[in-house]
Amino acid sequence: MGVTILVPYPLDNKKTGPEVVEELSKRLLAMQATQTGHFLVDGDVFESSFNKTKIHVMHNSEYPASVFSILDNGQKQIPLITDLIFDLLMLKVNPIYASRKQLKIESKGPRFELGDFLVKLGSVTMSQSQTFKGLLIEVDYRPCLIPIICWELIREFLQGFLGQYSPTTIPVYFTNSVPNPHHPVPYQKSNDTYQPIDTVQQYLEHFNNYRKQTIALMMGPNK
Amino acid sequence: MAQSISVSVEAPIENQIMSIDYDGTEVYANPLTQSEYLTRNAARINFMKSSETTEESKEEEQAVAAAAFQASSSPFENILNKLKEAYTEVTVLHDVLAVSKEKHYLVLDPVPMHEQTEIKPMAVVYARKKALGMAGNILISGAERLKRLDNGPDFQIELLRLRQNWRLKKVSDNIIGDLSFRTAGSKFMHPGNFEVSKSDEVDIKGPNPSTLQVTIPSELQGVAYIKVVTQKDQEDLCSANVTMIDHKGKLQVGEISSWQKKLEFAQNVLFCKELFNQLAREAVQLQATIPHVVIGNQIRATLLPGIQLIISLCHSTNYQEFQEETKKKADDLHDHVLEHSLHQLLREIHYKNTHYPIPHSGHAVGIAKKRLLAGPHSYDRHELWEMTRCQNQTLLEQIIGQAQHIFMRKRTQYVLDSIARDVKDPQITSHWNALNSPTLSWVKINITTHGYDTITRTALVVHVKERSLMAICRDGRVMHMSYEPQELRDLILQQICQHQITGLQNLSRCMAWQLLSNSNHLGIGDVEPLGNANAILIASPLGDRVIAVQVRCDPQIVVKVYVSHSPREFYTSGPLVQGKLWENLGSEFKDVNFDKMEGRNFLNKMEFLMAALTKIKE
Repeated sequence: MGVTILVPYPLDNKKTGPEVVEELSKRLLAMQATQTGHFLVDGDVFESSFNKTKIHVMHNSEYPASVFSILDNGQKQIPLITDLIFDLLMLKVNPIYASRKQLKIESKGPRFELGDFLVKLGSVTMSQSQTFKGLLIEVDYRPCLIPIICWELIREFLQGFLGQYSPTTIPVYFTNSVPNPHHPVPYQKSNDTYQPIDTVQQYLEHFNNYRKQTIALMMGPNK
Repeated sequence: MAQSISVSVEAPIENQIMSIDYDGTEVYANPLTQSEYLTRNAARINFMKSSETTEESKEEEQAVAAAAFQASSSPFENILNKLKEAYTEVTVLHDVLAVSKEKHYLVLDPVPMHEQTEIKPMAVVYARKKALGMAGNILISGAERLKRLDNGPDFQIELLRLRQNWRLKKVSDNIIGDLSFRTAGSKFMHPGNFEVSKSDEVDIKGPNPSTLQVTIPSELQGVAYIKVVTQKDQEDLCSANVTMIDHKGKLQVGEISSWQKKLEFAQNVLFCKELFNQLAREAVQLQATIPHVVIGNQIRATLLPGIQLIISLCHSTNYQEFQEETKKKADDLHDHVLEHSLHQLLREIHYKNTHYPIPHSGHAVGIAKKRLLAGPHSYDRHELWEMTRCQNQTLLEQIIGQAQHIFMRKRTQYVLDSIARDVKDPQITSHWNALNSPTLSWVKINITTHGYDTITRTALVVHVKERSLMAICRDGRVMHMSYEPQELRDLILQQICQHQITGLQNLSRCMAWQLLSNSNHLGIGDVEPLGNANAILIASPLGDRVIAVQVRCDPQIVVKVYVSHSPREFYTSGPLVQGKLWENLGSEFKDVNFDKMEGRNFLNKMEFLMAALTKIKE
């Protein structure tokens, strides 16, 4: 447990994805981080044939016993965390919720541990063709649970190895106001206790961005 | 020439013995009558053989028949012979009588008649009395047995009571009971059966008259217990006995005989056997760095270097021996915690064998509830790994862990107590947390100076684990230590030194003295065997006095105090150093005889010293 911040790493055209990953890994190893295997986050999309409701089913290797699914009807997102057999259930309801294979997206790469920090360098690939889409860097500060408290620390840490590409403000996901069911005043995620689903939702946001880019690219030449 | 001797073989005159009675009298068979004799001889004849006789034998037969015919030719010869014999006898008798008449060679005595025994009336009375008495006894004993069966303990009632507490079933004519823990979840292979029977001979005067008798298989008879000993270089540190019976309670002889106690003992034997069986199996299977040894009824496992845990199964069939042993044991150092733990661990296994978490779906049978919740609660990798590690721990691993922890706790206690005893100046108090887990406990250590509690107080927390210690100091530093007690000792001593210096620092601030320098690890001076000396340098408000303090980090907490004056008391300007202004440089530091100073403790003495050296501005 801890607070996880997900930042996209902007790629210029000089270097390819694997090169950047290698460079960042070297930097981390120079900071005396230890590599502890690899990680994988993947996202599937199931779309209803009646209304355009989508279910995003996601897996995170950090939570190997869980399946995260987010029901998205356009206005609202409803998260659900279940056992691994949820995957089998989704196969059963295949006629109603059809899997969109070409929208399957995953982020995988090396995982580093550095003191209380956990750093994952994920290269995002999409559909079966494994086309490279970009880099997502995940930083997890494990001793803390409230994002606003440790954001400055994480920002500083990110500056340490990302340099100029490090973000200056907390991701938008944390500053969006969320309606509070118990109180009239809405609250921000950054003040709330961090949950594993927050990591998944951050991934989902970025995945959706990549998907939109891809669709735009595909639509572009046709026009 | 060999002389042939004719040996005559005759049948004995006595009749054959038919049987011998219990009192030794021999019953003879009646002599055979003539017809019986004939039939016996006839039976011996082989008629088949006679029919196959040769001609020679036929001729012989004819010769015998002719002789018989000749003998019976004179019909009165038989009578003649008999008369001749009678005549001879009469003649002989006459001769004998004639000789005896002379009374010279032969004397005739009258033949004594068979004496008629005189029947004494008293003897008859006695004999009858005796016979009647015996008959009466038989009747009385029979009557008593009947009476007992009516008034004494009823077999059926007792069977009912037995049935309420024990599992019984009827197999043909026998009642078989079940001692095993199978219904409680045990998977031990021993059948653990006993047989219930009705006994006729009841001791009514006994403490527990009972017609019900239980028969227990021989391997479950007697008393058993599991002995746990922690041994350090052949010297027992603590031991524990595991039985279901409170062995401190005294056993009455009557209690042993009652079936309830008998069954309880037998069940206890079964329990101990199962426990030991399980432990021995695990000891063989476990891949420890120092392999566990199983010899006979003993398991040896190494807890920490030089310290061994010995678990042995003691089984004796003699109740008296057992009682004597338990009397001895009462004086022994006895660890109830280990005893209880072993007991509890096997029970837990039993419980888990029967109590499955409620099945949620077909795939989830036998999975722990925590594991089922892991998915929806999104446990991360670390938590899941911890969970599987905890679940897969065997009984032996758990008990070794607990024993190690008990040992570590004792060691830590000893170190803290001995330091608190040896070091007088700052007081060391340790608070042990009353609520702890079998493998983790923690202690809070407070270092205070009497009278200066508000000025300074050093606190640290030590977590005692299975094989290691973790100390969290007040400044947030976390220190991991191994099982060696010296490491903890060094840490505490270092904390004491630091406490003294910090205390002095705070005190000097209150007294308006200035802190010049402060070092926790003074690199100069004598080389310390362990750790470095702490030092502080403070100046008086006017800056005319400087005190230097060094606290050595050894078990005696040696304190050295030096004082320097400014201006110098005896300043002589020489050719090298000229001018009056140089006298304001501090003079040489002079050693203060700190032991002789007034004051209860270090801070108290320092307060006096600072007060004495402070010069009030005029």
